[in-house]
Amino acid sequence: MLVLSRQRDEAIVIGDDIEITIVDIRGDKVRLGINAPRQVKVHRKEVYEAIKRENTSASQVGRNVLDAIDENLREARKSSNGYSQLI
Amino acid sequence: MLINTTRFGRMEIDDQRIMTFPKGILGFSREKQYVLMEASKDSCFFWLQAINRPDLAFVITDPSFFVSSYRVPLNSDQMRELGIEILDDAQVFVIVNKYDNTLTGNLQGPLVINTKDRLGEQLVLSDRRFTTRMNLVELSVPLEAVSA
Repeated sequence: MLVLSRQRDEAIVIGDDIEITIVDIRGDKVRLGINAPRQVKVHRKEVYEAIKRENTSASQVGRNVLDAIDENLREARKSSNGYSQLI
Repeated sequence: MLINTTRFGRMEIDDQRIMTFPKGILGFSREKQYVLMEASKDSCFFWLQAINRPDLAFVITDPSFFVSSYRVPLNSDQMRELGIEILDDAQVFVIVNKYDNTLTGNLQGPLVINTKDRLGEQLVLSDRRFTTRMNLVELSVPLEAVSA
């Protein structure tokens, strides 16, 4: 991993169009300003990891998980019809 | 085509039903092709079964059944990426998980599908009101559990 030292208001540039600026440093908290093209997705890593973890956990759900679903829920489905083309 | 699944056995599916997630689903980036199946007739729940990995399937649902205030912000770049021209062509699902007797939905990582071209992507929302594990519905307690 490349490790760089930066001070407040200094920045690094990644490629031609991504710029990350150190906006503020307070104690152990660093505020970053990120300039990037809109198609570049920027996420807090813990959110990304949480979704990944939840996906992995959800992929273990077994076939019988829906057995106990209340009949009433079917009525809700009947009122919408957007799915027919996907199934 | 014929696909193998661990949950449903061998299944014949029409090739035209295949949906593509060009980036895969987070944590499963290699699996890009899926087919959507009804969990049962008129069910609010669906199975999203991977075409090339028999054991990989997710229960998914339309979150609007459960959380009426839920909205997924789609910007024009995301719409272009998915080839969505009008919002009517977009369908949002969330992946469902089960904790004890509760079904939860991953509202922070919704699946957005272009229903016309069958292209999908899992988005990552920064909105902290929505979590990866929001309660959707309590399962009714099975009778044998009551009498035990």
